[in-house]
Amino acid sequence: MNKTVLKTINLTKKYKNFTALDHVNITIKKGDIYGLIGRNGAGKTTLMKTVTTLTEKTEGSFQLFENTSQELTESKRRIGCLIENPAFFANLTVVQNLKYYAIQKGIVDQKQIDQALTLVDLTKQKKKKFKNLSLGMKQRLGIALAILDNPDFIILDEPINGLDPIGIKEIRDTLKKLNEENGITLLISSHILSELYLIANHFCFIEKGKVIKELSKEELDLECSKCIVIKVENTKKATVILEKELHTTNYKVINKQEIRLYDYLDNSAKVNKCLVKENIDVISIYESGISLEEYFDTLIKEGDASC
Amino acid sequence: MLNLIKADLYRVFKGKSIYIALIILLSLISISCFTMSPGHIGIAATKDTSDVIYDEELNQKLSDTNSIIETRRLVKEYGSYPIDKLQLGANINLYYFFIIIVAVVLVNDLSNSTAKNTLSSAISRKKYYASKLITCLLLGTGLILMNNYVGYFLNLIMNGTNFSSGILEITKLTILQLPILYGIISLLVCLGFCFKKSANFNSITIPLIILVQLTIMGIATLFHLDANHLLSYELQYILTNLVTNQTTTYLVKTTLLGLIYFIGFTAIGYTVFKKAEIK
Repeated sequence: MNKTVLKTINLTKKYKNFTALDHVNITIKKGDIYGLIGRNGAGKTTLMKTVTTLTEKTEGSFQLFENTSQELTESKRRIGCLIENPAFFANLTVVQNLKYYAIQKGIVDQKQIDQALTLVDLTKQKKKKFKNLSLGMKQRLGIALAILDNPDFIILDEPINGLDPIGIKEIRDTLKKLNEENGITLLISSHILSELYLIANHFCFIEKGKVIKELSKEELDLECSKCIVIKVENTKKATVILEKELHTTNYKVINKQEIRLYDYLDNSAKVNKCLVKENIDVISIYESGISLEEYFDTLIKEGDASC
Repeated sequence: MLNLIKADLYRVFKGKSIYIALIILLSLISISCFTMSPGHIGIAATKDTSDVIYDEELNQKLSDTNSIIETRRLVKEYGSYPIDKLQLGANINLYYFFIIIVAVVLVNDLSNSTAKNTLSSAISRKKYYASKLITCLLLGTGLILMNNYVGYFLNLIMNGTNFSSGILEITKLTILQLPILYGIISLLVCLGFCFKKSANFNSITIPLIILVQLTIMGIATLFHLDANHLLSYELQYILTNLVTNQTTTYLVKTTLLGLIYFIGFTAIGYTVFKKAEIK
């Protein structure tokens, strides 16, 4: 079983009367690429700042590499971060900025700086001053800093902000490579679900400081994939018919009245006929399939309704 | 922590600010030695020492000339006084150079949000605070030594032994001033951690010395207290008095005051920083 890299237990952060994080419980396992999705101001950055101790938690606790927050210093040595905008010294060059942090971290091998710059494709700009870099280059330098110390866990806050499409693809490939080849666990936040979908294998939807859904990529696919939505009075009876008459178990019971069937997509009439024949009261039956954005939107609305 | 200090020193010496500060400091010392006017040259000129070092006749002659060369000739002809020692009495000038050091080492890091890169890694806030304080103290000590000893040697070369008090005396005075100068550095570091942003830090620290003096004088007037007695424990006056008034009681009191400043401001700064949100 994979070890836990980060676990939060009822993690809460309040700023006077405003609750930025509200009893957040998430678990990130070793090797995961964990996507944190939420609108601007949802609490993504606060969560990242809390687990990196840049801000103090108000309630709850968290574990890093199974160490509690009291013994974090050693665990933090295994983390690389890029939180909010990449911040560096404007008058130092790219390589001088990285050297400054390399000295801090006790890295003596210049090769590690070169490797990090190669990975983010900044070798040609290494003698440029930070203030003269484009936004995308600054972002990539932030990622270079995060991977400088060969960490086991990288936390990246909106790392694709300001990058052009080619840059986004390059960063995505780099992060995937780091995950696949080096086994690095990643926590990446974004408000662009479609981008995060291309890289992450676990997703956490956050809104108004609360986790509204945590699911794997397979589960997300299932939630968003094409299906036949069947609304009936008795889902138990209906599922028996689906299995017995239509020989399928490829369905999901959503609630007391709704079943999503992922087979017979071109033949909903046959499904309807079969259910009616067995005296099932079909309220409605229709084909459905939602985009990631629609799914996100639905979740947010459900979250708002429950608040 | 050693790595943090090494990294900060690397960054400071890669930047221009420290070199500009050194050039200004050396210029002030050189001008002060050349014009033979300790305490008159500087960003914060100290108490007028002309009454102590010039007699009436010389004062009259000096006021009749506008030429520096003539002034030098007249002063050399009439007598001798320890320019290097009196220069140390004007060491409050170093306060402004300490502001530059603290701004470069600490405030720049907090103001640019680069501190989050350090604090999100395996560095505790305690280590961060201590390393910044030590780096400022190291650079501050370097600046004090450079100011005092370069001043001593330049004065010796320019004005000769008649106007020099000797290297031992300079060393003794340097050691006596260190506690209060370290107290000033810890005050500035504390203010850096409290205000974080460069603009806030500068607008507080630059007029602080004058504000403290005005406040002391205001309190003395309001409560009919002896202003001179109160001012004798004010930073600028302490540095001047340590050169001219070295009674054992005063030395003990000012050393203790420096120590109290150092511990007090470090405790306040760390307490504020420990709970602060890093942006």
